[in-house]
This record gives sequence, structure tokens and C-alpha cells, in this order.
Amino acid sequence: MKKRVLAAVLSMAMVAALATGCSTPSAGGSGDSGDGSGEKVFRYAVNTEPTTLDPTKGQSIGDNEIQHAVTEGLTRTTAGEVNPGVAEEWEISEDGLTYTFHLREDAKWSDGEPITAADYEYSWKRLVNPETASPYAFIGDYLKNGYAIETGTMDVDELGVKAVDDTTLEVTLENPTPYFLSLIGSSGQYAPLRQDIVEEYGTDFAATADKNVYSGPFKMTKSENNEWYFEKNENYWDADSIKLDRCELSYVEKPDTQLSMYEAGDLDYVQVPTAYVPDYEDTAEKFMNGNVDFCYINSQSDNVVLQNKNFRLALNYALDRNSYNELANTGIYEPMNKLVFPGLQAKGSTYGEVYDVESYPLDGDQDKAMEYLNAAMSELGIANASDIEVELTTTDAESSKKIAEVIQELLQSALGIKVNIRQVTYAEIYGTVFPEHDFEIGYGGWGADYDDPYSYLELFKGDSSYNYSQYVNPEVDELLKASQTETDTDARMDMLNQVEQILLDDGAFIPLQARNIFYLIDDDVTGVNFYYCSLNIDWVYADITE
Amino acid sequence: MLKYVTKRVVAAILTLFALVTIVFFLVRLMPGDPFTSAKLTKEVAANMNAYYGFDKPLIQQYFTYMGNLLHGNFGYSMKYTNKTVNYIIGQTFPFSADLGIRALVLAVSLGLVLGIIAARNRGKKLDFFCVLIAIIGTSIPDFIMGALLQYFFGIKWGLLPVAKYLGFEYTILPACALAFYTLASVSRIMRASMLEVTSQDYIKTARSKGLSELRITGKHQIRNAIMPVMTMMGPTVASVLTGTFVIEAIFAIPGMGKYYVESVNNNDYAMILGMTVFYGFFLVLCNLIVDILYGVADPRVRIGKR
Repeated sequence: MKKRVLAAVLSMAMVAALATGCSTPSAGGSGDSGDGSGEKVFRYAVNTEPTTLDPTKGQSIGDNEIQHAVTEGLTRTTAGEVNPGVAEEWEISEDGLTYTFHLREDAKWSDGEPITAADYEYSWKRLVNPETASPYAFIGDYLKNGYAIETGTMDVDELGVKAVDDTTLEVTLENPTPYFLSLIGSSGQYAPLRQDIVEEYGTDFAATADKNVYSGPFKMTKSENNEWYFEKNENYWDADSIKLDRCELSYVEKPDTQLSMYEAGDLDYVQVPTAYVPDYEDTAEKFMNGNVDFCYINSQSDNVVLQNKNFRLALNYALDRNSYNELANTGIYEPMNKLVFPGLQAKGSTYGEVYDVESYPLDGDQDKAMEYLNAAMSELGIANASDIEVELTTTDAESSKKIAEVIQELLQSALGIKVNIRQVTYAEIYGTVFPEHDFEIGYGGWGADYDDPYSYLELFKGDSSYNYSQYVNPEVDELLKASQTETDTDARMDMLNQVEQILLDDGAFIPLQARNIFYLIDDDVTGVNFYYCSLNIDWVYADITE
Repeated sequence: MLKYVTKRVVAAILTLFALVTIVFFLVRLMPGDPFTSAKLTKEVAANMNAYYGFDKPLIQQYFTYMGNLLHGNFGYSMKYTNKTVNYIIGQTFPFSADLGIRALVLAVSLGLVLGIIAARNRGKKLDFFCVLIAIIGTSIPDFIMGALLQYFFGIKWGLLPVAKYLGFEYTILPACALAFYTLASVSRIMRASMLEVTSQDYIKTARSKGLSELRITGKHQIRNAIMPVMTMMGPTVASVLTGTFVIEAIFAIPGMGKYYVESVNNNDYAMILGMTVFYGFFLVLCNLIVDILYGVADPRVRIGKR
């Protein structure tokens, strides 16, 4: 009797649960990859949600990766190589300041309208216009008067861009910028925009996939429920080079879940979460995303030891970066003893290949460290190393905490000084701590927005708003300034290298690591490219081979 | 009854008003502002502050916000540019609510049954089994439960989809993972309250009248024992339906859960306020419904006689 009642009640509960299960809110997705239907579909996931679909307002790598697929700049940068985009050809003036772009006549928007020079002029003016309030407005500072317009001291019509006719765009720069062509080929903020579309939707422009038109190889067809779909744009001028029919991007917050989805065959590409890298050593491939991590040293800190060059060098020589990398990152990153990401392009090769910067040994140098420490102590009149205390500020992210603890341990045991750790939130560290120089040593990092050492070196330019270290060195400032007007690109590169060397000799910061990203990709996927500034994965030319 | 409900509704509105006001000013005390990132320059940040009206006096911003709120307008998210908070809630709430309803149906029905069975078989093996489930349910955190279910059913045995929310089979694992904790608490409370009721005089009376055990349990015990469960349902329904951070993250469900945590981390003022008001509204509503249901379940609490 009892058993029958139990069974009856249990099955009722089941039925009730099932009954509510009939109508899931439709996510629209089919769930299958299109395998078997003959369609070529590439599926991957990101773990930070794109913040906007408006090209002008993009501010994250993820935002820009989307724009790279749905917009077409004057050029298109693929894995660092600059190719013609909507501009068929261009001339650059002797002084490197004026670019004349000739647009191809067959370039069309996804709705069939021709892409004209005016679309670029409109878009770039919108970027620097203070009323637009684009978080990435500063990327328009290369254009003549860009900075003045952005800060409200000049009218937007003064911007150095002019559509001479439908297919000719004349661009004037503030300074000769050797990486300008590469920059506009990889930054969504330089994409063309259709004035009629932007004005039609107003503040809702690009809020969803259907509220924009697309100039790139793909058009966005879905942007809901954490899924973004991209279908091949048949109107794209170079549609023959595009092999995929569709790309399906999902936002999956937990890297573990992404990995599970990949294992279950729901994704074609996945980044391996750092903790799992040792398990996938044999199958995972890697690329470097251009992010370098280091500690800022506040050189005008109230803590006088940090104003002392010998002490800063002692810190740098004391740190065994190989041990650090093993302990803090299970050895998956590249230990680093310099500032500029070595993969950048320089003199037809890479910066790391061309320049052999003299720096602290990766294993550290205990003797030299003690030498510098003793010199510093006698200069400062400190008798015991144990009297020295420094504070290391970090965010409360798990990985950052671990990094700070390892640095603390290594420096304390090597030098006999005391290192205290202070934790703040991410919002604090970039909201107040760094900008207001409210720290002694701070763990941070940088990724380049453009393929040039200047992007990293600018962090130590006297008047830069990113100069969190309050590092002021007239020699550095002069070289950086001169590099902006130097038209001989090789000589310019040498100047920048000189700056890096000065920073290292000065112990201006504590370099730590360059990041490797490990990933798994299905065997049948080819043509996916990776890049180290402003975007990481570039699947525009991906193909699915059977 | 009507008077009572009216009174409660007015109180609820005042509560919400106080909630909005306090949160509005509290969020401004958080360190940092909505526009903090490594790359943002001061000049650009100033433009963005002006764009969102943060350069105006705080009190003026407050009245603007309240004015918009009266029209049901939560404003634009500062993190997800070009998207309104209303749009984000409208997109994500159906998923959270759908998952929540499934989990609740599962949790409450099974929880009640387990609680009743345990109480009716006090001290026997069946009771032990039910209590065991309750203990497991309350002591295993949902992120472990979710990950375990995902690993075994999704990856190891390949029976159910690993993640996402695209159809019925996708809902099973997250609903079970989400239901487990509530199921366990419902069954524990139900068991305790059933046992308490068993020793009441009216049960003895019923028994001496010669009623069948089924009838005694069904008509007298359950009806009286269910009150504590209903009390807990108000807050439970509100929190389960408006999204759960952990389960939604594990199963990649496009629900609301993550925005509670994320908006605070990002100092996304409009989003924090929107989420707070929405959740607050829901909680107040659920508690109101529970209060009214009390009267339905138990004539002694019928409101008019208070």
C-alpha cells in the first residue's frame, strides 16, 4: 500500500516537472553545428561578454574581434600582415603625414549600398566627438587635431580626414605614424559607418544585430541570449576568400564549462583554462596574446627606498623569474626581463629578434642584488635590510593574489627586506590607486593597441596619463618625442629600443612575464589566425575541411 | 481583506522607494566609478561622465533617475553601451524564471513527498534515506552539484547536453542542480513540522474517530504542517526565479544571475539599481502572495479576523 502511494506521488511529481518543460524560451539556436548539412560552421566561445556592438565604442579585445569580422577598414590586418581592404591602393606623402586612400568601387555594405569615403570620414569624426563619449576615443589621436577635438577645444570639422570624392579619402596625421596602416586594419574604431543608419537608430544604434549594416566579410544575424551569429556577407568585395558559411560565438563565462563543451563536441575551438594546461600539454597549441605583466614602481613614492635607483635594481636582480614563473603560473607563461612584447614587428623581423636588450638574468643574480642593496642602504643610511618595508598592491583576483605572494616570498628571502601585500578591487586599482599614484609597488600589465613598441614605452613618458609610476626622465621623454617625428623607420625603432634600455638600467619597473594562451582546436578547422594587439583570434579566413 | 491587501501594497511601495533611495546613494560611495579600465584616459573619462550626466549635482541625478523609474525606465547600462537595463532584464529574466520554475516544481513536489514519507516512517530505513538526501542536499554546494551532474551526465555518459539552454533536454541538469538545495530544505522542514503536528490533539481525535491513515495524513496533518514550508517559499521563489549566479554560469544559461555580481564589480550604477529594484519588487510581491495564501491554507489566520 505504502509503496504504491509512494510510486504514485513520485510519478506525479515527475509529470509535473515535465509538464512545465514543454516550452523553453526560444534561444533560437539549433544546437547542432550544421555538420552534415554541408554548411561550414565555426563555433567558439569567449568568457567575457562583449560590451558593445557599436564599432566606435568598442573597448575590449572581444568587442574588437567581433568588429574585425563584420567591418572592413581601409586596410585589413591579418596576423600582423597589412593587406588592402576597402582601399585598393594609397599614397603616403614624403613627410609621412598625409595619406591618400583610393577606395575600390565594388565595395558594398551588406544592404547593397556602396561603401564610400564619406562613410570613413563620418565614422572617424564620430569617434573623436566628445558627444559620442567613446571609451576608445584616444585611438583617434593619431589623426590631426584628434586630441584637441576629443578634449573639446576644437570643432569636430577640423579633424584630419576628408572625403575628396566617393572613392578618395585624404587623411592627415598629427605625427608620421609608421604603424598607421596596420592600426586601421585591426581597430574596429576605424571602421566605416553609415550616417543614415546611425541617425535612424540614435542611441539604439547597434544595440542588436539588426540595428546596423555591415561592411565586413560577415554580417551579424543574431546577438541575443549570449549567442552571436555571423553569416557570410555575399556583398563583401572579397567574398571568394571567405570559406565559412557561419560562425557561432557563445559567451560562456566559466572556462571549465567551455572546456567541457569542447570535449562534448559543442565547440570547435577553446582556450584551455590555465589550471588545466598541464593536462593538455600534448594536444594544446599556444600563441602569445601580447600581454606583458610587470610591477609598477612608484618612483615618487613617500617610501624613499623606491626613489633610490640602486634599490630598484636590487629588487630586479633579486627576482628569480624562472622560479617565479613556475610557482606563480605553473610555468605556462614566458618569464620576461623586459618591457616590449618581443613579437612586435620591427625592421622586417620581430622586435625580439632584432634587439638583444641587456637586462637582469632570468634566474636572478643574488650577488649583484646584494651589491645594489648595500649601495642603496649606505646611500639612504639604513643599517639593516630588515628595516626596509615595501608595499605591493594587487587586485583581489585569485591569480593576482598568488602572483603577489610569490613575489613577496622571493624578494623577502633574497634580500631580507619586508614586503607587505595590499589588496584592492579591480575598479579601485585603475580607478584611484594607479591614476592617483596611491601605491608603492603595484602589480599590473599592458597589451598593445597597435603593433609598435611605443605602446608599451608610453607608460613611462613623463606627461602620459598612463604614467602610473610617476617616472620622469628627460632623456626618455626626448627620445619618445623625437621618435614621433622621425620619418626613418629604422632609426626610429632604434630610438625606441634605446628607451627600453634606459628604463631597464634605471630599474623603472619589475618585468615579470609575457602571456601564453593555450588552446585546443578541431583537426578539421584551418585558417584561424592569432594576433597580439587589439584582437587575439581572427577566424575570418577559417575553413572547415572534411 | 481588501483593506489589508491595500495596506500591504502601500507598504511595499514605500519599501521599494526606500530601497531605491538608499542604494542610489550607497553605490556612489563605492570606490572607483563605472568607467575604470587600464586604457581609459582622464579626458575620455570626463566625456563619458558628461554623457551619462554624472557631471550634474548628485541630487539632480537622483530626481532624474526617480523620474525615469516612475515610467519604468531603468536607463542605459554603463558597461554594455547602447543597451538599456530594461532590455537586458527583458532578455535574461525569461531564462532565469523558466529554470527557476522547473527547479521549484521539482524541489517542492519531491521535497514535500520526501518530508511526508520520512515523517510517516520515523526511525525506519525510509526515514533514514530521506534524511540522508536532505543532508546531502544542504551540505553539497550547488556549484559542486552542478559540476558533478555536468561531468557525469554530460561528458562521461553523454546522456544530456553539457551546457546552454536550447530545449527541454538542456534544462534537466541545471534544474536538478538548482532544485537540490531547496528540495532538501523543504523536506527537512516538512518532516519536522509533520512530526510536530502528529502529536497534536486533533490528530488523536481523528484517529479515535477511526479515520484511515491516508485521510489523516492527507486532510489533517499535511494541511497543518505545510505552513512553515509556505513561509520559506516567499524568499525562495523570489531568489530562485530571478536567477542564480553559480548554476547559470556553470551551464552557460543566458539568465540574470551574473548581472547581480558583475554590475557591482563594474560599478555599473544603472544596472545595480535596476537589478536591486527588480529583485526587491519580486521579493515583496512573493511575500505578499504568501501572506494571502496563509489565509487560504489555514482558516485560523484568515486575514479579516485579525
